[in-house]
Amino acid sequence: MRETKTELLQGTLDLLILKALAAGTLHGWAISKRIRLMSRDVLEVNQGSLYPALYRLEDRGWIASEPGESPEGRRIKLYTLSAQGRKQLAREVEAWGLFSGAVNHVLRTS
Amino acid sequence: MNPFHSLARLARRARLFVARDAAEQSMDDEMRYHIECEARDRMARGQDEASAWRSARQTFGGLDRFKEEGRDARGTRLAEDLQMDARYAVRVLRRSPAFALASLITLALGIGATTAIFSVVRGVLLRPLPYAEPERLAVLWERNVPRNHDENVVSVPNFEAWRARSLAFDAMAGMVPAPLTLTGLGDAQRVRGAEVSSTFFTMLGARPLLGRVFASGEGERAPANVIVLSHRFWLEHFRGEQGVMGRAAILDGSPRTVIGVMPADFEPPRVGWMQDPEFWIPFTPTASNRSWGRFLIVIGRLGKGVSIDRARADQERISAALAVEDKADAQWSSSVKGLTEQIIGDVRTQLWVLMVAVGLLLAMAIANVANLTLAQLRRREHEIAVRGALGATRPRLIRQLLTQSALLGIAGGIAGVLAAFWGVHALIGLLPTDAPRAGSIRIDGAVLAVAALTSVVAVILFGAWPTLHGTKDRLAGALGESGHRGTSDRLGGGALIVAEVALAVGVSVIAGLAMRSFLSLRSVELGFDARDVVVMRIALPGQRYQTNAQQVAFFESLLGAARGLPGVQSAGTINIRPFGGGGPATTVAAEGKSDQDLSNAPVTDVRVADGDYFRTLRIALVAGRTFGAQDVAGAPARAVVSRSVARQLWPGEDAIGKRVKVNLNNGIVAEVIGVVADVRAMDARTAPRPAVYLAFGQSNWSVMDIVVRGDAGGAGGAAALVPAVRKRVAELDAALPVYQVAPMSELVSASTASERFTSILLASFALTSLVLAGVGIYGVLSGDVVRRRREIGIRLALGARPYRMLTLVLRRGLARAALGVALGLAGSLALTRSMRALLFEVSPADPVSFGLVALLLLAIAAIATLVPAVRASRVGPAVAMRGE
Repeated sequence: MRETKTELLQGTLDLLILKALAAGTLHGWAISKRIRLMSRDVLEVNQGSLYPALYRLEDRGWIASEPGESPEGRRIKLYTLSAQGRKQLAREVEAWGLFSGAVNHVLRTS
Repeated sequence: MNPFHSLARLARRARLFVARDAAEQSMDDEMRYHIECEARDRMARGQDEASAWRSARQTFGGLDRFKEEGRDARGTRLAEDLQMDARYAVRVLRRSPAFALASLITLALGIGATTAIFSVVRGVLLRPLPYAEPERLAVLWERNVPRNHDENVVSVPNFEAWRARSLAFDAMAGMVPAPLTLTGLGDAQRVRGAEVSSTFFTMLGARPLLGRVFASGEGERAPANVIVLSHRFWLEHFRGEQGVMGRAAILDGSPRTVIGVMPADFEPPRVGWMQDPEFWIPFTPTASNRSWGRFLIVIGRLGKGVSIDRARADQERISAALAVEDKADAQWSSSVKGLTEQIIGDVRTQLWVLMVAVGLLLAMAIANVANLTLAQLRRREHEIAVRGALGATRPRLIRQLLTQSALLGIAGGIAGVLAAFWGVHALIGLLPTDAPRAGSIRIDGAVLAVAALTSVVAVILFGAWPTLHGTKDRLAGALGESGHRGTSDRLGGGALIVAEVALAVGVSVIAGLAMRSFLSLRSVELGFDARDVVVMRIALPGQRYQTNAQQVAFFESLLGAARGLPGVQSAGTINIRPFGGGGPATTVAAEGKSDQDLSNAPVTDVRVADGDYFRTLRIALVAGRTFGAQDVAGAPARAVVSRSVARQLWPGEDAIGKRVKVNLNNGIVAEVIGVVADVRAMDARTAPRPAVYLAFGQSNWSVMDIVVRGDAGGAGGAAALVPAVRKRVAELDAALPVYQVAPMSELVSASTASERFTSILLASFALTSLVLAGVGIYGVLSGDVVRRRREIGIRLALGARPYRMLTLVLRRGLARAALGVALGLAGSLALTRSMRALLFEVSPADPVSFGLVALLLLAIAAIATLVPAVRASRVGPAVAMRGE
């Protein structure tokens, strides 16, 4: 197991949450787990700060929450990407592409 | 963000806010479940239970911190804070009920009075007239050029010529009051209606409730026996029956078919002598009424896009042509006035004065509540300092204090609006009966919006100012010291005193002028004695009283019978009573003197009276005699003239025995047998008009006023004589209605009703403003004394005389009050100039009103200052030095 973790860039947490939810409905911890898995353990979500981010996204209408049940039968909160959120994800992916491309370009030319 | 999304977001927040306890619980569950999952995940990967839980908690971070961040992210923070602040404010207000109640009452008073007056202003001045495109409606007058009289009624030929030749007006309608006797529906009654051109209703855009209005041209060429009823007439005489159409109403003996009923909210335009008619019948121009002279009121609808100025120019063009065509129109032109201006022009100044006064009152109410808030803040400064020390930021504290003010403002606004509902009702009751547009006064959305806006502005003023002012050094000032304050406090309170006194001076000066004007109007010399006199009107129908002799005989026998009644001192008759509206008026000349050019000939009222009329109204006889039994038909024509006529026609000569030419009915020449005092015949405000009286016995008038003087101080007043007179009338002719019955003194006071209305309102505003000023001064100074007790105590301990402390406070209060009075007087002087049109024989800079108000306010300031001043002089040095 590699122990080198990368701190998240400011503002990318929203993008990662939206992306994680693009594949399906998840509860809070499962979102952080999926981000970790998708980034092959490179990106570590600061776990507590996931929740304020979730509430913020919910307030903006990009994700929605619904009550659900855990495998053990406990009442938990499940998050889904909304139609609005899907559009936002597309926008953010595009913006990220531009941004990272530009940064890479800068790094290569130096 | 699109508006739908913003709305959805608001809805989500509202849902969360409502279910915030559940949201809180679910957040806690969710975070704990996360840690649990993390721990289980770690155990699954081989960590032992204890360390798995520990690192799960560690990687999650501070639970409370993220909860707090989560609450912020939910977007309901503001609402939650607000609720907390509101709860807190309610608690504080309940702890200081005196403050809460005083603020509430003051605010409710200010907002309530403002709202009530504004609803009158809106109903009368701001709400458009209830006609289609009212801005295109105008009133057309004839203009007498040499006398510069702008608004003269119109002759039928000129009305017809205008209508045919006008390029500016799409339509015109003539109208004239038509008082007729209604029979066949209960007792005979005199009903006030109007004859109107067929275009009248359609031009206004008024639709009937039932049936139809006049068709275009109906009754214009040949009489049409149709009638349109007002809603009231329909209810009263036809009991609101739907099937009224086609039924008959008998007016002056001839039946008319009902074709329509107007709705209750139809507001017929009140112009000149047109009162609210109870019915409308078609006006038919005839050879006879074409020769009557000028009597029509004409309203027109301007063509699309035609301005009043263009219409005026066009009317003047037509009049110039008419002046050449007909000698009778040689001295005449025309004028045009917007209908709205015509109807409300007279009351505009009056209502704006009321609005200004009530606005000043509102400002005082706000200043008083600001002062109360400041005082309350000072009482709480210890608590506020503690909260500051415990970490409350200044914005947070300000928000909390403002929430309290907002609560007071909302409560005050609601109470004010409730008071206004009652107030508007009372105001409408107080309104003079001839006030225009009283029916459209009500509290509507716009009035409520203004009340709400007023409350918001009030909160900002009385809440924000003391709060910003009060929290500035409050937080910096450490906990333990609350005995002495910087100068800024005193400045704040001092400014309040100056402002309140100045505002109270403004309100009181306005009220003082209005009351002085009202009083001088009431005490004006009328030229007759209205006490113990009752007046009533009788119209003889032409069919049964065809000859002049029959008419005279009826009135003579009625007067004879009336004079014999117990309690009657005298009884007389005249064609139009004083204060009974305009009547015939014409040019007169002295016979024998070379006919001066017509423009210089005096215009006088022409009245028909008997000799007892003058005795009954106690109109002073200056020379000669009044009419007697010898002045009957067949005898030489005789006249009595008023003093100003005698002076104008025969300056420096004796008028008795001279002959006067009256330009009426093809010219009347009569011998002057008496000179009487001039009488204010229109109303108390209008200067006495010269009058020529013709002998009743020598004229033919079928509609007469009967004046009866009762014994002075008789039981029930002169009105008690009415039943007996009615009985005598019925004995002579059972089918005659007796109408327009009124004690003469009531007619006199009704003519000053509008002045009384303004005076009463302004007086009550002034009284309130004086109370507010007194309370305000007292509040500021007694707060001052309490705060400076320590200083005063030290001074006393150091040997200052108690009376020095007394004068210290007195000086402080009075100096500011004097400054306030000076500012207030200067401001009023600028303000009252625009009141000139309202004032009767009182200058807008009336020194008596200004002086009395200044003295009054200084006296109130002295009284309000004295109590705290005495308290200051009695401060015990030891008590004061111990502190609070």
